[in-house]
Amino acid sequence: MTNTATGIIRALNSGIKHIATKRFTLRYPEEKLKFVGDGYQFDPSTGVGIAGLKGRHMLFHDHCTGCQLCSIACEGVAEAIAMVKVPDQQKQNKKSIMPQIDYGKCVFCGLCVDACPFYALYMTNDYELSSFSKEGLIYTPAQLAVKPYVEQDSEIVITKYGATHG
Amino acid sequence: MTAELPPGLAIQKVDERIMTLNVGPQHPGSGHMRIIVQIDGDYIVACDPDPGYVHRGEEKMAEYRNYITNIPHLERPVIHDSCNALYPYVLGVEELLGIEVPERAQYVRVICSELNRCIYTMYWLAIYGIFLGHSTMFMWPAGDRELLIDLMEKISGARVTHAHFVPGGVRNDLPPNFEEVCLRQVNYFEKRIKEYAAVFYDNPILISRTENTGVLSREDAIRLGTTGSVLRASGVDYDLRLKEPYDVYEELDVHTNVMKEGDSYARSKVPWLDMLESCNIIRQALQKMPKSGSVRVKLKPNPKGKGLDSVYKRVESGRGSLGCHIVSDGKVEPYRLKLSVGSFRNLIALPYLLKGEKLGNMPSVYWSLNYWPVEADR
Repeated sequence: MTNTATGIIRALNSGIKHIATKRFTLRYPEEKLKFVGDGYQFDPSTGVGIAGLKGRHMLFHDHCTGCQLCSIACEGVAEAIAMVKVPDQQKQNKKSIMPQIDYGKCVFCGLCVDACPFYALYMTNDYELSSFSKEGLIYTPAQLAVKPYVEQDSEIVITKYGATHG
Repeated sequence: MTAELPPGLAIQKVDERIMTLNVGPQHPGSGHMRIIVQIDGDYIVACDPDPGYVHRGEEKMAEYRNYITNIPHLERPVIHDSCNALYPYVLGVEELLGIEVPERAQYVRVICSELNRCIYTMYWLAIYGIFLGHSTMFMWPAGDRELLIDLMEKISGARVTHAHFVPGGVRNDLPPNFEEVCLRQVNYFEKRIKEYAAVFYDNPILISRTENTGVLSREDAIRLGTTGSVLRASGVDYDLRLKEPYDVYEELDVHTNVMKEGDSYARSKVPWLDMLESCNIIRQALQKMPKSGSVRVKLKPNPKGKGLDSVYKRVESGRGSLGCHIVSDGKVEPYRLKLSVGSFRNLIALPYLLKGEKLGNMPSVYWSLNYWPVEADR
């Protein structure tokens, strides 16, 4: 019986202590988590990626040659990448085709970034891609070329009163 | 008329005392599966688990994809434990293609695998808590999981479904300054989960509810082919990290946690002890890891196996032994891929454990088997 009593007191005591500890919850729209780097990138010369968040892609028009390797890499995964005609003429891109990504299908695995040998396709820290229509999720090469504006500064801080997002 | 019907359609004789109860598949207490229980008053007479509601055909899908594009879909069955779900596949493909993995990559894999084991177990523990009506035990693990998810996000760039392991190493190196952040958060995580003892594992209400329910004896545990924490909770010291060390596990000091009781309480406590052990392994791996070096072997664009070949690899996942059998016929796609998952093996014990139990104990016995419906259906 004493065991039961002390056990319940211990359990309650452990819960009461949490009144004094800090709140760990991230208040999402006001606070946003900070990520390492500027998104997942890949260095084809060494064959190793650079750590970063796998968010929305970023396409460099002056590097893309229209080789379709990203589209082929996506074929077995999500079929999210389609090659489309672009109006601007690039010297290295004879066929004038560039990837268009459907974020309704993309699983953010980043295998297309690994496939690109010309430093043309990277991923960024932008993960807020919601849209009111299915067409709004399809990003054209022109939309993918825009560098996203992200304001993320919240990190996990561990103090002696517990962990919190500061 | 009844005699002409095929055996499956024949009308069963109904005993007036016995009632058949369908738990699931929409019931929150069963996951994506159905448990058909026959009850006599409050006691379970017979139980028939009915999985298969989330069958996705992962094995067939693997035959149409090459060795690299198989990665994203093979980790889908257990998104919380995705590094461990990929581990046997990646080890198998490496043996098929004859790739030597750099040492640093092996250490990174061990760290990722242990972090994922903790992330999975915390999720499992949160659901176990809410099954028993202990809502504190739902809130705390669900919150503290964030510490480790944040670490995995820093490593791989995704909170779940990391797609981080590839044949030949890992996708990217650890971010700068990672060791320090990892050590700080893992130490705090360990301190936090030790607090669970006071509120959950030493709680007399939990002990009275789970002790001596669903007892699985040592002999039965071996005979039924259970794995992982279920096997260790029944007194069998069997952990693939020790028995068949893969990657750098033989260089690390790994201890297993064994309990003799074999009841729901022991089965719920062993994963928690495993999490404390995982924290030790992560600290050791961070210390012993080479500070620099390559983490990924450069592969040819469409890697192929060398002729007719087959390989079987297994690892210790959050739910037990997770095996992957790959048959290659020299093409870019595997000829056949078979997953042998711990969840399904543990589910086999459920009808034996529930016989004679009270219906109220069903959720705790069922979930203590460390069963993940989506993984079992593949």
